[in-house]
Amino acid sequence: MKRTVIPFGPQHPVLPEPIVLDLILEDEKVMDAIPTIGYIHRGLEMMVERVEYTEMGFVAERICGICSFMHGMGYCVSLESIMNVEVPERARWLRIIWAEISRVQSHLLWLGLGADAFGFENLFMHCWRMREEILDIFEKTTGGRIIHSVNRIGGVRRDVSDSELTAIVGKLTELGKAFEATSAVFAKDPSIRHRLSDVGVLSAEDARAVDAVGPMARASGVVMDTRLSGTFGYDQLDFEPVIETAGDCLARVVVRMREVQQSIDLVRQAVDKMPKGDGMALETKPRGNPFGEVFTRLEQPRGEVLYYIKGNGTKNLERFRARTPTFANVPAMIKLVKGCDLADVPNIILTIDPCISCTER
Amino acid sequence: MDRQTFLARVGEYHKEGRRLALINVTTVIPVAAPGHGAPAAAEAPAAEAAPVPDTFEITWVFENDKDASLEKIREIVSPADAVPSISEFFGAAFLYENEMRELFGIKVEGINLDLQGQLYKTATKVPFSHAAVKARLEATQAAAAAKAAAPVKNS
Repeated sequence: MKRTVIPFGPQHPVLPEPIVLDLILEDEKVMDAIPTIGYIHRGLEMMVERVEYTEMGFVAERICGICSFMHGMGYCVSLESIMNVEVPERARWLRIIWAEISRVQSHLLWLGLGADAFGFENLFMHCWRMREEILDIFEKTTGGRIIHSVNRIGGVRRDVSDSELTAIVGKLTELGKAFEATSAVFAKDPSIRHRLSDVGVLSAEDARAVDAVGPMARASGVVMDTRLSGTFGYDQLDFEPVIETAGDCLARVVVRMREVQQSIDLVRQAVDKMPKGDGMALETKPRGNPFGEVFTRLEQPRGEVLYYIKGNGTKNLERFRARTPTFANVPAMIKLVKGCDLADVPNIILTIDPCISCTER
Repeated sequence: MDRQTFLARVGEYHKEGRRLALINVTTVIPVAAPGHGAPAAAEAPAAEAAPVPDTFEITWVFENDKDASLEKIREIVSPADAVPSISEFFGAAFLYENEMRELFGIKVEGINLDLQGQLYKTATKVPFSHAAVKARLEATQAAAAAKAAAPVKNS
């Protein structure tokens, strides 16, 4: 049969960021997909050559406008590890709280984009209205809605008062209740089920074979969550990774919906367990320049991010590498697209929650 | 490590159920190159092996999700060397390996999905080659020297 090549992207209604997939079709079936990225490659890793390590954290958080807090945190945690800096306890808890709020924000954003992609605009607006409330929390506590610049090597720049934290927990609890109604639509609406159920199925074996990470892997029944390693204080929190087994587009939606509620619960637990009081230490100043290397892993909303940082004793790092979750999930995306109908490609691509800015850096 | 030993070890990690977490490449240049000050003696432990200039340091990282452990293979290769692809064991390696070739100019043999140099669109061809990195560092140093030499303007 004659093959047709259809370019998917770089501009497409479901793509918030540019990526190209050359889809090779036989009739309506996708036989192969060749990715091309690089439209927003900014050379951020290269900037270590001229940006000093103390300033590089601000560059790191600009890798992504959605995971910006976690990128800043990952960078600072890595440098703290190389330089043996002990982070004050309250700062560690504040990082966990902001990280989990980031996850809620990211998932709500994605759920909205997903709803828009499968033609449910009303649901898109509900999700993004709720996300606005999260951005308000960020603005109030960090001063920034998207780029927060609150992480420093050795701790955090700003404190959040105990009363403010209690108010945040109250607000998140209300949001969680409101989100239950929205979740019910995602999970039960027949038109959504028709579009997503049994579409783009990734088995657990395939998820392992292509080294998928994050909700993409967990929706296929793979138990994988970097937070389970207990680093950064997660060992003091009570949680289980959210696992679904269907492996289809709907399962990936459900995992993210459940993780919204899980993150709200983790914020509640963190606020309960963190040391209380005003005027507590928030940072320990690092001394000297970093010398040595480290591999750091964090569970971002899209999955595991891995940083490799190498210092050579000068003010400029020798290497800064961020392997982002979308980079790890591109092979899974290609695998899913092969053999599917052309009409399902947008939903399949969107359900990996692709972040091209992260991928290209 | 010879090619056979390398691939055998990668195969073992695959059998153990490990996941390919990262392939990282670092362009190794002399630390005192323009733009980098030499490290203070206290910050440069003597026990550290001296980096071999004008080479690439490649690290393959394999993760076990059950206990979060990382296993690494590290090789120092010269720009003339070719490295074998590990995509026969880890299908997802093709993305890292195409990146190694496009951004660093490293020859990788046997990639299962060869993107023929169209993965990234970069203004500088092979932006992390030794020549490109050195040129940028020299430009940075020259700009810093010019700034220092410029007369201070009085308002």
